[in-house]
Amino acid sequence: MQVRAGRTVTGATIDAAIPAVSMHQVGLSFGDSSPERRLVLADITLDVREGEFLCIVGPSGSGKTTLLRILAGLIQPTAGEVRFRGQAVSGPSRERAIIFQDYSKALLPWRNVTANIALSLEAQSIRPADQQPIIAALLAKMGLERAASQYPGQLSGGMQQRVQIARCLAQHPKILLMDEPFGALDAMTRQALQDEILLLSTEQHMTVIFITHDLEEAIYLGDRVVVLGDTPARIIETIDVDLPRPRDQLTTREDPRFLAHRHRLFSLLRRH
Amino acid sequence: MKTIDPIKIAALGFALALILTWQLLAELKFISPIFFPSPSRAGAVLLARVLDGSIWTPFVATGLRMLLGWVLASFVGIAIGAAIGSSRLARDLLEPTLDFIRPLPASAMIPVAVLFLGLSNAMSLAVIAFGAIWPVLLATVHGFSSVQPELRQVSAVLGFSRREFMQKIALPSAFPDIIAGLRVSLAISLILSVVTEMQASLPGLGWDIFYAQRVYRSADLYAGLILLGVMGFAANHTLMLFERRVLRWRNLHG
Amino acid sequence: MRRLLLGSILPALFIVFWEISSRTGVLTLESLSRPSDILRAGIVGLADGSILVATGQTFETALLGLTLAAFAGIIAGAVLGLSPVLERVVDPTIEALRPIPAVAFIPLALMMFGFGVSMEATIVAYACVWPILIVTISAVKAIEPRLLEVADVLEMTFVERLRKIILPAAFARINVSLRVAAGIALVVAVTVEIVLNPRGLGYSLILAQQSLRVDVMYAQLLWLCVIGYALNVVLLNIGPAPIAVWRAGR
Repeated sequence: MQVRAGRTVTGATIDAAIPAVSMHQVGLSFGDSSPERRLVLADITLDVREGEFLCIVGPSGSGKTTLLRILAGLIQPTAGEVRFRGQAVSGPSRERAIIFQDYSKALLPWRNVTANIALSLEAQSIRPADQQPIIAALLAKMGLERAASQYPGQLSGGMQQRVQIARCLAQHPKILLMDEPFGALDAMTRQALQDEILLLSTEQHMTVIFITHDLEEAIYLGDRVVVLGDTPARIIETIDVDLPRPRDQLTTREDPRFLAHRHRLFSLLRRH
Repeated sequence: MKTIDPIKIAALGFALALILTWQLLAELKFISPIFFPSPSRAGAVLLARVLDGSIWTPFVATGLRMLLGWVLASFVGIAIGAAIGSSRLARDLLEPTLDFIRPLPASAMIPVAVLFLGLSNAMSLAVIAFGAIWPVLLATVHGFSSVQPELRQVSAVLGFSRREFMQKIALPSAFPDIIAGLRVSLAISLILSVVTEMQASLPGLGWDIFYAQRVYRSADLYAGLILLGVMGFAANHTLMLFERRVLRWRNLHG
Repeated sequence: MRRLLLGSILPALFIVFWEISSRTGVLTLESLSRPSDILRAGIVGLADGSILVATGQTFETALLGLTLAAFAGIIAGAVLGLSPVLERVVDPTIEALRPIPAVAFIPLALMMFGFGVSMEATIVAYACVWPILIVTISAVKAIEPRLLEVADVLEMTFVERLRKIILPAAFARINVSLRVAAGIALVVAVTVEIVLNPRGLGYSLILAQQSLRVDVMYAQLLWLCVIGYALNVVLLNIGPAPIAVWRAGR
């Protein structure tokens, strides 16, 4: 994988040194005995730069979520190795925050918004008194001030997803792994959150790996789009998105380069 | 002036109509006064016992029995249920045995308990605890084993220890199930209190009713039944209010 | 398969431990007996039919009570489920009667019927009617209103409505409540027999205890576990069958 010179979304200069994430011939198969052995992922080799916004697309069931879980350290690959900032990934860690598509199942319904965010701080053994200012800042950043004492069950999908993001940010992660986070939301909320996540990743110089089945979303958000497909899943193609930053819902989506990428992705997925 | 719900009046009226019909049938001797004393007589007995204070001893005796057995069963049931529900291995080792013992009527343990403990309060407590443990145990196992997988993963990523996971995530997640189990357990505790009192002549409402039948004092019998109804209703209602408070997040909507 | 194997470990160890310690004199309480004696008593009881007769008596009474409860509960439940007004009027009375444990009525039933089947069946019926009634009300309330409108348009009588629309639509949930009630029926029947009715399994348990035949007593307890478990399995499996039969017949 060649390292491209230039600037990424966060404005950081590319450093040819250690990539944020490095996957080498990663593979995963299910089942122990031979007849049941099902190869799900095969030969995934990919490097992700610090501060890069990488999108992964592919047909349903193509192993995208599995790959993300491997990156998070929740599953161990049966082949190949994954490194995070040069260190082998052996298990989950607060540094690698994962945001689930089904927000209702990822939040604690019996805690209000503030307490949900506090969960991450409790895990870092931060005292309640010290938690207050951190939570207040996150509430402000994610536009959740009015909902601070409400329970997830009282919030809309978009708000719940914001809470999940806030809770992940409270972990002080080094990378955000997002699993089709906006898939269950309506179009307008989705667009608002897309722009919010772009802003967030710029401000925080955050590396983001973003899974989506929405091809246009992938192009709009990413520096690169990786296409996963076939069975077992492998990387079919990687597209460099050479669209200018900051992105704009109206103008970027009408840019001829956007349309060209879109055309390419659609035809690729049709074939695979 | 607050308008009074006509339905509530009708409901009251219905209940009153039933009682009045009963009264009428008893007075006109359509039904034998031995089996169906008029409500007025049963009420009179009840009133007399409230006034002279003799109602409290059996009421408290049964109540204490029920509560002690229930509390004991709840603690043990939740503790064991949490352990079983959190461990796949424990479930595989124990669930078949539990499934086999579960259908056993708790009252069937009375002869065994009598053999070991005689006709005593200890026997009663043992039987009550044995019967009351099942609903709360099974509900706890279910609650702990059905924690959302996403929450387990969140816990793993955040780096919580097993203890922190159980305390912050698994237990609160299992609360709705546990409380449902507690309510059933409470009902069973009451039933078994009555049964063991009848069986072992232990003081309490169950025994009062049993004795009243022996001496053909049916008004006392009905008074006892009414008191049991009150106790059952009060216990369940109190627990329901507690449940509403603890699980208040469930009823909130955007 | 793995579950069967793993699940047998603890009981097997327990039985072996019990047998050995009682034979070697480590455990000597007379109240304990030992697995081999219990097994023998069980086989004797089955062979001479005494356990089976008692089981038959208990089942007979439980079934009678359950049937009574089912009739009363389903019909009343359908009526109340169809009329929300009526339901709210009757509901407080139901809530007042329901918490009274069925077993508390044992002395009353004794007065009215004397010892025997009727007394026990009545208590079983009282215990079983509540879950059936409440589930039926809720199941009927949940019936798609369009179906009931169809019944109105076709000017069906109440019985026709019950047979053709209400029962089939609410069947699944009522069935579950019947299964629950069947379990309750068995438990209550045995309880009444333990307390004072001289017939059935409960009574033979008490007899065994009082005559200090502990091996017989434990054998009967084991038998109770077996039939309770078997009953559950049977109910779980025949449950869907009536639906299939009904569907096939349409």
